[in-house]
Amino acid sequence: MIHKILRKPQAILGLLMMLTVFAVMLFAPALAPNDPEKINIMQKFAEPSEQYPLGTDDMGRCIASRLIYGARVSMSIALPTIAAIAVISVLLATVCAYAGGIVDKLFVIISDIFMALPPFLVAMTLVGLFESKALSIVISIAAAMWVWNAQVVRTYVIREKQKPYIITCRMSGCSELRIIIKHIIPNIFPHLLVLYSTGLSGVIIMISGFAFLGLGLETGTAEWGAMLVNANKLVFSHPELIVYPGLCILFAAAGFNLFGEALRDICDPKEG
Amino acid sequence: MLKAENVMKKYGSQTAVNGVSLELEDNAVTVIVGESGSGKSTLARILSLIEKPDSGRILLGDTEADRRYAKSNRRLVQLVMQNAASSLDPHQSARQVIDEPLKLLMNLNRSQRTKRTDELCDMVQFPRDKLNNKVTELSGGQQKRLCIARAIAAEPQYIIFDEAFSGLDVTLRRCILTMLKKLRADLKTAFLIITHDLDTAMFMADRIYVMRSGNIIETLDRPHSFLDFKEDYSKELVRAAEYKRQALQ
Repeated sequence: MIHKILRKPQAILGLLMMLTVFAVMLFAPALAPNDPEKINIMQKFAEPSEQYPLGTDDMGRCIASRLIYGARVSMSIALPTIAAIAVISVLLATVCAYAGGIVDKLFVIISDIFMALPPFLVAMTLVGLFESKALSIVISIAAAMWVWNAQVVRTYVIREKQKPYIITCRMSGCSELRIIIKHIIPNIFPHLLVLYSTGLSGVIIMISGFAFLGLGLETGTAEWGAMLVNANKLVFSHPELIVYPGLCILFAAAGFNLFGEALRDICDPKEG
Repeated sequence: MLKAENVMKKYGSQTAVNGVSLELEDNAVTVIVGESGSGKSTLARILSLIEKPDSGRILLGDTEADRRYAKSNRRLVQLVMQNAASSLDPHQSARQVIDEPLKLLMNLNRSQRTKRTDELCDMVQFPRDKLNNKVTELSGGQQKRLCIARAIAAEPQYIIFDEAFSGLDVTLRRCILTMLKKLRADLKTAFLIITHDLDTAMFMADRIYVMRSGNIIETLDRPHSFLDFKEDYSKELVRAAEYKRQALQ
């Protein structure tokens, strides 16, 4: 798998972009030239300089520092969200699809009901439920998106459980649980990796979308979506304030998408 | 003795197995021959206790086989399927394939399993240095030998080979069949071979059942030559086999 990734330029580019985002997220305090929250009204809309590499915003805060810390905030919400989606969808879909019969039928009915509701609408309804804004966002996006991922996982499991090697596993004395954990999940794992790496880009965009609609983190938080909202009113006078966070969102989303798509090609026997 | 009594299986309106009764004698090789679609593989799956018949029963000795006690049944009956590549988990190494029944069915500890794995490799002539290879990195013949090693690892009383020798070249097939003959003598395990190849049947069988459209139409005990077949359909199969041999020559 690693050899195949290293042979595919699209995968390398996506991986580098992802690693850049993670590096910025991890080393934000060392990379940021200034305190991202420090207001200096005397320096508002300052031009790019040595002290402020990308200038300042309407409150005189360092844009570069806010973008760097923004990676940390955005990813610290996006990663738990995709992890929650992954756990819920893999657990439910695998058990139901493997069990089959009435359990699977029930799962399909429940997922059809969830899928009838637009994800953004579900998320918008749930986003104000908890005191912690970040927790609200994680739970509401997970509640809105799990079903779409679970349906895909279900397809993978159904396809896998029909393969002849499952009979061999039974012949070798494997319990149903062992077949799921030791055989089915390892075999569908590359597909899950694709599903959730491309899904992460969708979550990043959704979090930013929340902020843009005023449902995200508190105004003034150094987060890419919130920065877009702040800059909304300054679109004509200072368009760069919208362009910078927009580019960051695009960069992160494109990185995960490129890597996910490349993984999909690698996992597909016709391509790989 | 493994017995099928009036076993019937339908898929929709199609009757795959139509009230078949047969016996697998201990320590003997029984062969079921018939053309594709005659219900051989369905019968193999039913006899391996992985599929339930619509009616009829499977007896292990005097007791009816119960699918609920699947694990103990696996110590009695093992199945080797046609396509070795697809019947092995591509994620596993050859060692893991053999290790699983030794651990789960034979309850051996790690060192016992390592020792037994080596013994099994030697028995089926599987190269030990390939044990850590993924199953996808093995040749067709090695995969087949691995499937056989996995099946005998459980030390079952019966092993069912469902078209397990189809698709192998003549030399490899002869080599594996000769190895199986020796294994059967050593292990004292009964084999049921499902095949459409009469040459394989004659080479291996103590008893041959001829199957057509879900029914057993002829039974031959200790067959000596193709002339022993009496039914018209069986003779047709013999003629087809002879034609195939001539075409190959």
